[in-house]
This record gives sequence, structure tokens and C-alpha cells, in this order.
Amino acid sequence: MANYGMALDYKNCINCKACEVACKEENGVQLGADKHRIWVGVKEIEGLWPNLSIASSTFEPSQCQQCENAPCQEVCPTKATHYTKDGVVMVDADKCILCSYCMEACPYDARYVKEDTMTVDKCTFCSDTRLLRGETTTACQATCPTKVRTFGDLDDPNSEISILLAHREHRTLKTHLGTKPKLFYLI
Amino acid sequence: MKVEISRRRFLQGSVALSIIGGTSIGATSLLSDENEHGEMRIMTRTTNTKAQKVPFLCGMCVNKCAGVARVEKGVVVKLDPNPYFPKSRNMLCPRGNAGIQTLYDPDRLKYPLVRVGNRGDGKYKRVSWDEAYDAILNGTDKFKGLLQILDEEKDNRSTIGYCNGEGLSKEGFEELMGLKIGTPNYVDEISICLETVLGGYSATIGAYGEADMNNADYVIIAGANRAEAIITPDTMDMFKRSKGRGLKTIVLDPRFTNTAAKADRWYAINPGTDLAFVLALTYVVFSENLYDKEFAKKYLIGYEDYKNHVIKNSYTPQWAEKITNIPADEIYKTAREFMSSEHPIYYQGRRSVFAKNDFQLRRAQAIFQGLSGNLDKKGGIIYGKKLALPKEDVNSPMYAQAQDRFDKEGIAIFAGKTGSWIVFRNMVLEGKNPYPVRAMFMRKHNPMAGVPNTKKTEEFLKKMDLNVMIDILPSDTTMFCDVILPEASYLERTSPVASYGFLEPAIVQRRAAIKPMFESKTPEVIYKELAEKLTEPLWKNSLKYDEDVQDDTKGMKVDELAKYYKENGFDLTEPWEKSVEELNKERVVKAFGEEAWNTLEEKGVYYPNMDKYHKQLNPNEYQYYPEDKKNYTTKGDKLKVVVNFKNLAKKGVDPMPTWHDEWAFKVPDGQFRLVTGRHAQFTQSGTTNNMALRDLIPTNYIWINKREAKKRGIEFGDMLEVKSSVGKVHIKAYPTEKIAPNMIFMLHGFGGSSKEMEMAYGKGGNDASIIEDKIEPVYGAAVMHETNVEIRKV
Ligand code: SF4
Ligand code: SF4
Ligand code: SF4
Repeated sequence: MANYGMALDYKNCINCKACEVACKEENGVQLGADKHRIWVGVKEIEGLWPNLSIASSTFEPSQCQQCENAPCQEVCPTKATHYTKDGVVMVDADKCILCSYCMEACPYDARYVKEDTMTVDKCTFCSDTRLLRGETTTACQATCPTKVRTFGDLDDPNSEISILLAHREHRTLKTHLGTKPKLFYLI
Repeated sequence: MKVEISRRRFLQGSVALSIIGGTSIGATSLLSDENEHGEMRIMTRTTNTKAQKVPFLCGMCVNKCAGVARVEKGVVVKLDPNPYFPKSRNMLCPRGNAGIQTLYDPDRLKYPLVRVGNRGDGKYKRVSWDEAYDAILNGTDKFKGLLQILDEEKDNRSTIGYCNGEGLSKEGFEELMGLKIGTPNYVDEISICLETVLGGYSATIGAYGEADMNNADYVIIAGANRAEAIITPDTMDMFKRSKGRGLKTIVLDPRFTNTAAKADRWYAINPGTDLAFVLALTYVVFSENLYDKEFAKKYLIGYEDYKNHVIKNSYTPQWAEKITNIPADEIYKTAREFMSSEHPIYYQGRRSVFAKNDFQLRRAQAIFQGLSGNLDKKGGIIYGKKLALPKEDVNSPMYAQAQDRFDKEGIAIFAGKTGSWIVFRNMVLEGKNPYPVRAMFMRKHNPMAGVPNTKKTEEFLKKMDLNVMIDILPSDTTMFCDVILPEASYLERTSPVASYGFLEPAIVQRRAAIKPMFESKTPEVIYKELAEKLTEPLWKNSLKYDEDVQDDTKGMKVDELAKYYKENGFDLTEPWEKSVEELNKERVVKAFGEEAWNTLEEKGVYYPNMDKYHKQLNPNEYQYYPEDKKNYTTKGDKLKVVVNFKNLAKKGVDPMPTWHDEWAFKVPDGQFRLVTGRHAQFTQSGTTNNMALRDLIPTNYIWINKREAKKRGIEFGDMLEVKSSVGKVHIKAYPTEKIAPNMIFMLHGFGGSSKEMEMAYGKGGNDASIIEDKIEPVYGAAVMHETNVEIRKV
């Protein structure tokens, strides 16, 4: 039993997309720009050349927030979307009927349709690949050049993520919605 | 939503891979029905089954990051970073991850091919390896073989040109073609890439060095785009500390790059004017006495001459403002900040040559670094150490008939081994070669996309009697070749061991994750077999024409002759008597012992005391060497910064960096300056057929200033014709404020013309076909940012 979460030192991100490719190879995510479990949000830069606002240009790596209070789970009529014992939100492909309610409900746009099985898919924290084999990092964390991500057990006070969160300021996305995301952006 | 399992979808995942693993994909001939797999996508998924984990070195770009391949049932399903290599710091970039798609690229060259149609029309016949080697030696009814050419040229080996791409097997090809077969006419990526930065730094501080980005506190990075053109370990170290976290970052680039997005300040400098910026920084430093005087006295040779020179010429920030587009007070501020920082670095900036003054720019940067005193020390530019590996010399024969290379027109310092691509090609085209150049042997190199002015490269290739290519994909250049030899990709071969130096040196080895697929062979096996095929006939040709050989061997008996042939290096096969695996073991055991070899085999990396030094610090980071064992300072009193380089004057090169007015940035009204560059998701044209990377960047666009685009009625996605004096391309528009109104930018490497590369073909524009073939005057390196273009909507 664990309570998995991820801390992101997002200022390190150079928008290289190594994480996206690693995730695809590891987890059998289909190729296709519209199919991904993980992405980097880029804002259009403000200002007119040459007076551009550097601060307006940020890279925000993102993926399923593994909400503790997941709207996607609430709306799923077949219980295909469920929490694992380690606090990971997963989709059981056998139960998914592609009603796509969860896709509508997710405030983070984290879900997509996997076209070979025609079911909904999203980030699993590599639960059914790497973690199953006993590895302790996700594919996106392991490959990242600038080491944006730290994955780990929020309930273990000695885990690197707990230590990071104890010592560094952080924020979550769309906190006001009460979804209790478990992706923490380090400031 | 369609619920339909198309062929494409069916082929995804492990299904596709088991098909490929069983090589049934090979049933489709390379140059035949491409529509068959037109839509195919290959991806992988790891499972819980037992897997082999093979340490490899990435071959997707020049960095050679260390990784571990996960191989399940003979299929490479995942590439993970290898935490032992200090250079790559436990990471793989997007291209590194997508190496699987290069390995399993359906368009790969699968069998040896011999041309049966006309050059460029793509008609080839599948042949056996022996038939292919035979076609190289003896030709076919469509083209002449090497033997006939060398016979007609009376054994002038220099009639053969050859070119080679970067990588661990590069040296072997140079041994075969240069040292053994005996032609000096070699060109490679250096003269279309970073020649002047290497040359400028070596001439000034003795080496390119390594910027210690882990400990620097101030960096000026100009032109180089480390967030998108990844260089390890610089990229990883730099961006963990930028954005107010210890490394103040000043970026100069005509366009707003991802590196600029990470900067404290970005200056939109005019292309080709960086030298004026550095001279103005230097002016501030000299006029305000900000430099490290003790250090200068001790190590900077001729710095007082330079001081006079810079002051006398009034290279003031006010002067530079007009040239560079950077406000004078910003230049003052930057110079003062730099010199008052504890560990400032003017980043050397590994990148291609952009402007004609690039050599002088690099000299000026290196001197400026020297003025800070931050050289050969922690947080500065360091020299480090390298672990030596024994190497056997190649016994290289002397060919009396071989002539010297000639590609020297317009070049002050002839660089010797690698020459100048543009000068070599153009002199041959213009008939200025003193003897005929009739054959090109090429490997892992695509001059059609890399060397400015594609039209000329095509003409040049067509002029040859024989073109041979060794590569993994049918590139644009491959399509002009007569014999094509399929090479194994980097995941299918064990490569010669390599030594990586600097701060934390290590020995690294790439081990084959799987056996070569289809009928491809590893480069060293190809060199060996080619040498075996050519050695006797070429030797006979020398006996026929080479007077020195004739004199030496007059009256010799058969066994004496055989001995002469061996002893004098005419036996071309000699460097490949042992396999790469045997040689690696031999060299490593000799230098470091048996245990080191075992470590290297198992972990892919070895350095003395690795078992003691290497430690995991946290889930992401490792210690490779303890702080007191890092090679921060290695030069000591041998350190030397050549400021006034008097000998250069004898060659017509300014002995001290000097600005010339003709270098000012000018664009005629209505035209644009073309700038090119990179993104992190691909490496030049070599990765453009990779389907995973294509997903991330399907094509290149032309960046055009938003306001300028509006004026011209250009919107996002509009097709534009971009025309220079040497060619034109069609490419879609991307209006953005990230570029100046009088410039346009396009990514390099796109616009492939080879129909055999399904994913790359016709996507975007090939910058090489519009960049004018201009060279800088010191080494004759190609200059990439001096072309003005016109654009119109089509
Ligand atoms: S791999 Fe790291 S740096 Fe690259 S895009 Fe992903 S989070 Fe950003
Ligand atoms: S981010 Fe979306 S998909 Fe993920 S748990 Fe929250 S609501 Fe569900
Ligand atoms: S930087 Fe990327 S492509 Fe280059 S060697 Fe490293 S992982 Fe491979």
C-alpha cells in the first residue's frame, strides 16, 4: 500500500518531450500527436519582437493529476475507472464502454481514446509496466534530461517526494475544484 | 468515431514487432511497393517477462549517451538511461527514446542494392553482398567499377573522394579509404558544422574545453541553443540552475528559442554581429580595468597589444549598438556583471558556422573568457583529463601515383584531413581539380541535405562514375548511388570502445542489443569484406602503374612479393583481422585489466574506482566522482591564452579579432535573412523518417514575424515559396513574434526528396537547397546565415 504522487520541478523543463516518447514506448501508447498520456503545456509568448516577455513563456509538463477526489471516477457508470490500492486512478479496459463521460468530467483534459482497444486511456504512473516489475521510477521521470520529476510514496515520510514537498513550496493545478491532485509543481 | 481495426492499427504494438522480429517485413523489397506500409506506425510496450538488459550508447546524435536496452524475446522494447555514464547523467532525450523506431523503420535498407535504372530514378536490384562488392570493383553495364577507374587514372588513388558521418565507426571508414586505399580526398561534417569554433578555441586557449555548468554562476550563451540542440552534459546542468537558481543566463539569438525562454535576459542580436558584441564587452573590460590582471600577465600572450587594439579602434558599446541591435547600456551592464561574477562563462557554443567572421568571433570569446581568469578551474572552462586506450597504428602504404588534395581555393588555413565540402565540390564542378575525381564512397552522410546548395551537390554526384553508399536509410544522397550497402543500426552492433574525457572521464562501450536485422551488416564487417574484395585487384593495379612499387619489387619472387605486400601495408584487410569485440577486450584489458573489462561489459561504463565513487544521491541524480577527484584544474602553469596570434597574419588572417564593416547586417528591402537551426526532437535529416519523432514534429514551418505576415496577408499554414539565388522551397508559414520582421527561420533537416523514406518525403522544406554556398575564409567552412531570400504565397 502506497499513496503515489509526483513532484515536478517544472522550471527545469526545456520542452524536449523525452518524457512523452519514453511513456509511449514503455506503455504501448499509440503514436499520433493526439494520443498521449503526458504533454508539455506551452503558452504563446507575449509582446512584440524584440520586446518579448520571457516570463510569459513557460513550459508546464503535465499528465493525469491522479486526483484523490477524481471526477472521472465519480462519473464512470461501469466502474472501469477506479483507484488502486496505491492510490493510482486506473481504467479497466475490459469494463470501459467508451461512454466518454470521464473525458468530459476530467478538468485537466488528461484522457484520450486508445484506438486499438477503443477504450479510454491515461497516465497510470507506469503501474502496470515498470512498477509491476519492481522499478521505483516512472518512464517519464527516468528519462528526463533535466530531472523535472520525482515520483514516490506520499505516505512515506522518508521518500524523496515527501522530503521535497516538506522543504519546498509547491502548488497544484486548479486547486479550487477540490479534486486534490497529486501532481505538485515545485516553486 | 470509427470502430474499425485498420491494417495500421492491427500492426501496432507487439504484433507488429513480432512480425518485424521474424523479419517478415523484409519480404517487402525496399524500393518496391511503399504504399503497403504507408500508414504503418510502430511502437512498443514493455511487459513483465524476463528481459535482457544490454548497455548501449545512443547513436541518434553526436552525444552518445549511455542507455540500457530492454530486450524481450529478441525485440528491443524500451531504451532506458544508463546511470553510470558521467557525460549523459542518467538521461535519454526524445531522440534517444525513439531509437526503437529507427531500428524498426520499415523503410530501412535491408539488402545490398545495385542500380539498374538511371541515377535518381530509384530503380535498384536486390543483390547478394558478394555481388554488391563485385559491382563496386568491376562495375555493371550501368556504371564503371573502381578497378577500371583506377586503371584509367593510372593508380591515382586520389581520384576517389569519400565522406563520412559522425559516429563510433567513423574512424574505421577513414582507415579503409584514407590510410589503406590511399586517397586524401576526404570531407565530412566538420566543414559544414563546427569547424571554426573548434579551430578558434584551439588556436586561442588550446582546446574547446568543457564549460562547467554545474558550478558557473553567470553564462552568456550566444547562437547556441542548448535547450533544443542538446549537448550533454551542458544541457542538463544548465537548465537545472537557470531561472534565478544560481546560474544567471544571458541569451543572444536573432530568434526567441527555448533557450531564450530559460534566460534572465534575451538579446535579439542581428545575425553575424556577435563579434561586435564581444569586442564591445572587451572594450568595457579594458577601459574600466575589470579584467583579472594577474592572470592576464601570467597567461594571456599579447593581451596588451589587444588592449591597445580594442581601445584604439573604439569598439565601444555605442559603436556595437548600431551593429548588433543591442542597446549600449545593456552591453555595459553585461560586461560588468560578467567580470564581477565569481564563475562567469562565455559559452563556447558548439554549433554550425553562421557568419564569415566566426573564427574571429570564437577567438574573441575565448580571449574574453581568459580576461575573466575563469579558465582551467571549477566553474569555468575546464580542460580535464582523458583515460588513454591503447591503439594499434595502421600500416599505411605509400602510393606514388596518388596526388595531393586540392580543395584550397579561398582558404587561409588548410585544415588537412577533413578539407572543405563546399570548396571540394565546387572545384570539381567548375573543373578546377588538377586531376579527375571520379568516385565517391559515402557512409552515413547526406550531403544533399547537409551541404548548402543542393543543386550543386546533385550535379556533383551525377558527375561521378561511381557512387557507393553505406547507410541504414535510403537518404536523398543514397538515391544517387550505384551500389548501396545496408548497415546495421546502432542497436544492432557492438562499436569500438570510446574514451570520454574532461571533468569526470570514463570508458564507454556500445554493445549490440540484437543481431543485425535483414541482411544488414555492422560497419566494421563491411569495411573488412570490402577490403578483402578490393585488396588483390588494387594491389595489381599498383604493380602496373606505381613506379616506386615497381622499383622496389623488381625481380622479386612470389613469396618475396607477398611479403612486401604485407609489410608495406598494401594488404588492405589488416586493420580488420580481429573483430570489434576482440579488439575492445584486448584494448581495455591491456589498459585497465580484466576486471575493468567485466565492468564495462556489464555496465557499459568503466572508470577507475567506479565501484567506490559511483553513488546514487537521490532517485534522479548520481555522484560519478567525488568532488576532490574531479579534474577541475589540469593545466596549471602550462595554461596559455594566445591573444595576439602573429603567425595568423602571415596567412592573411587578422592576428587579433578585428571588426570589418562588410560584416554589417544588411537585408535589401522586401527580402529576408534566412536563419536555420534545430529542435530537440530530431537530429538533422538522419532522424526525419523516425515515426515517433515525426509525431512530435511532422514538418518544418517557416517562422515569419506576425506583423510582417499580416502586412502580406500570410496566415498560419499558408504555403509559401522561399527563394534565394540558388534555389527555392515550398514551406508552410508560422507567423510569430519570436523573430524579427526582416528574418525568417526554418528548421534544418526537413524536405526530404527520397521517395523511399515514406515519413520524411516531401515534408517541409530542405534548407540546404536555398542556403547559398558561401564559405568563411579561414578553413572554408560553410556559412549558414548569410543568405537573403524572397517569399511569396503560392
Ligand atoms: S523530458 Fe523533462 S525536460 Fe523534457 S519535456 Fe519532459 S519534463 Fe520537460
Ligand atoms: S486528472 Fe483527470 S483523469 Fe486524472 S484522476 Fe483527475 S480527473 Fe481523473
Ligand atoms: S542527446 Fe539524445 S539523441 Fe543524442 S545521444 Fe543523447 S539520447 Fe541520443
